[in-house]
Amino acid sequence: MLAGAHFSRRSGHSHGHDHSHDKTDSRQKQPSAVTLYILRVVSPIPLLHSIIVERDSRRILYFMCLNFGFMLVQTMYGFWTGSLGLLSDSIHMLFDCLALAVGLCAAVMSKWPPSQTFPYGLGKMDTLAGFANGIFLMLISIEIIIEAMERLWNPQGMQRLWELLTVSSLGLVVNLVGIMAFDHAHVHHGHSHGHSHSHGHSHEKPKKSCSNGHSHDHDHDHDHDHSHDDHKHDHSDHEHSHDDHGHSHDHNENMHGIFLHILADTLGSVAVVISTLLVKYFGWTGFDPLASVLIAVLIFASAVPLVASSAKRLLLTIPPSIEYSLRDKLSEISTIQGVHGYTVPRFWMEKDGGRKSMGVVHIQVKQGFDPKEVKQRVEASLGHDMNVIVQAEGMGINDAPCWCGGTSTSVSVGGQGGSLRER
Amino acid sequence: MMQNQRRGHKYKHSSVSHQIFLEPPPRAPLALPASLPIPTFTEWRKSISKEQNARILWCLGHCIISTYIWWCTGGSLAMTALSHLVLFDALSAILCVCVDVLGNFEVWKRSSLRHPFGLERAEVLAGFAMSVFLLFMGMDIFSHTAEHLLENWTPESELELASHSAHPVDHTDHSAHARVSPGSVDLAALLAIISTLTSAIVLRNHARIGQAMRFNTLESLKLPGLLSNPAHMLTLGCAGVLLILPLLSIGMFSWLDRCLALGMALSMIVIGIRLVKVLGSMLLMSYGGPGVAEVIKEIELDSSVTSVQEASFWQVHHNLCMANLKLCARGISGAGGESRLRERITRLVRDRLGGPYGKRGQKWEVSIAIELDQ
Repeated sequence: MLAGAHFSRRSGHSHGHDHSHDKTDSRQKQPSAVTLYILRVVSPIPLLHSIIVERDSRRILYFMCLNFGFMLVQTMYGFWTGSLGLLSDSIHMLFDCLALAVGLCAAVMSKWPPSQTFPYGLGKMDTLAGFANGIFLMLISIEIIIEAMERLWNPQGMQRLWELLTVSSLGLVVNLVGIMAFDHAHVHHGHSHGHSHSHGHSHEKPKKSCSNGHSHDHDHDHDHDHSHDDHKHDHSDHEHSHDDHGHSHDHNENMHGIFLHILADTLGSVAVVISTLLVKYFGWTGFDPLASVLIAVLIFASAVPLVASSAKRLLLTIPPSIEYSLRDKLSEISTIQGVHGYTVPRFWMEKDGGRKSMGVVHIQVKQGFDPKEVKQRVEASLGHDMNVIVQAEGMGINDAPCWCGGTSTSVSVGGQGGSLRER
Repeated sequence: MMQNQRRGHKYKHSSVSHQIFLEPPPRAPLALPASLPIPTFTEWRKSISKEQNARILWCLGHCIISTYIWWCTGGSLAMTALSHLVLFDALSAILCVCVDVLGNFEVWKRSSLRHPFGLERAEVLAGFAMSVFLLFMGMDIFSHTAEHLLENWTPESELELASHSAHPVDHTDHSAHARVSPGSVDLAALLAIISTLTSAIVLRNHARIGQAMRFNTLESLKLPGLLSNPAHMLTLGCAGVLLILPLLSIGMFSWLDRCLALGMALSMIVIGIRLVKVLGSMLLMSYGGPGVAEVIKEIELDSSVTSVQEASFWQVHHNLCMANLKLCARGISGAGGESRLRERITRLVRDRLGGPYGKRGQKWEVSIAIELDQ
């Protein structure tokens, strides 16, 4: 096998690799000296500067560079030696780089301020990227399973074992570096402190394939939360939140997605290394598809919670604890003097994982009351953590009815659920 | 300031005021929006009507056809790409049916506190997932084709390998030209065309998908409804080429096969990116259509509006858009003045933004908070 020669010759470019390794290791909470130097260098280029200043995007960029460099080296080496395995692996790495680039774009764009086209900012970009990444992982794992089935059905002789082994162990090293970098980013994510809306869901954490550090972080949030006014609601939250696992999970889904992606790649390399060794020693080629299936199932399972939680956020679902306080506030509104009723109460979260909500509500004001004053009262009772467009509609004869139908039908919201007030 | 709403009843329980202050007549508390349960799978299954059931069965058939096409690709990359496309069609058809069935439930359409816009946004999300799927398939075919091309470029290593290893490499891809004998009909391609046409004409599955994609350039060409969905057009076109090639006795050379596959992969990627952009921006709470700036300018020009503080125009899902405005106004404190201003702005928004796209059934919900300048 000619691949054996590759292995011994590989030391030629290893120093480049080691260099990047140093760079990743030195990344700690404070920007490292390397980062500070790079920051000085790129300061005339605002885009690059903004990427490197931010922790998350910096990590993605560094890892992307590492991945891309490795890919280039691999491709050149592959062409030089005419090795197919190396070349097809570099195609795979190209797609990895693409995924990282998408993640980088998402991380940068999510910081963009609100504009006319995106009136609520691009904060959901992280969630969207996480969702896309999760779907991608699921699809990849399904494809792996199908291919493995094919191979089990129609076993092909394994060629180029050494080459395979070499390529996957090197890929493993690169991905391990990535995991070490992203695991930290994933756990101590910057803005996850301060606002929390958790209530004893930490038992959900291990399923998320996060490290232990994560639930620690979470507990911290939890304690913090108890000092807030929502303490009394905590108990009842449990009652209607059974279908809402992981929603209160406060982290950056983009980073989670990238982390899972790298994890999947790492597991894939591990699987190839182990199964190749097994095939070598036992001679049964079935080990390879079996390992692939196992890994694919693992990847799929780890992507499910990510997809579920990001889907909930993208659907503008209100988390249970917020829903509870919203109910409270709405029933408070109906007791305000001058309020005849309200229609189209629509609220959503201002920032994913935050506590602030925003939305719209139409208030019908009884005759003889000043709509302006009633509107102010309603706004005051909604409180500071809600940014709500309150449309006050007069109910005089001269007032044109609104599309919401609040003034024409004298009934408020058409809920047949009866009174849901907790008093 | 009236933070204390009970101020008026301060002396209600004092002995003096006991008889003087009468309690206001008890008023029925306003109903809160009901929380609606999300249907379970069995409930979903039960609510399926006969017509919907037929649709589902057809979609499953469509899936099976795509599997069949995939099964008999015989190493042809173009055929693999075609099977992927048919699978995409089938899955999006299934998505349409599922959405249709979910529409049977109240939680889908009606807003509750938990789901402020019902679950209709889930359709956008599922469409987004489908477009990621399309992208994935495009890239998959792309990388497979690239691998095959690489195999051709490095024949020495192949030869060396073949001589070295006990099992020679299975060159299935090179047998592509032998899959269909010249002059005969390619059953798989024919099946693809038939199933796609059935899905489009009989079930009109793709109107919705095409609508979501909103290929403006294609729309302006006034194509028949069938071709307004680019994924569809791609399927039909490729299946047609694959059907015609053997009939014309053109040998299916492997380079032609690869070119075709590459072209399909690229167009899948292009369509996928387009879809991801449109649906993604909807999920990012934005309105993709034109004319928002003009509308805001026009509102600012209204005689009684002094300034527009906040203006958020966004699309909630395929059928609903929202315009949330915060205005300062003056000189409208008379009878009904405020409501007339509101009506004016609402009509403006609906005419301008709902107008040309109105036939798509987009509803505009306009909410305006008016501050009065004195």
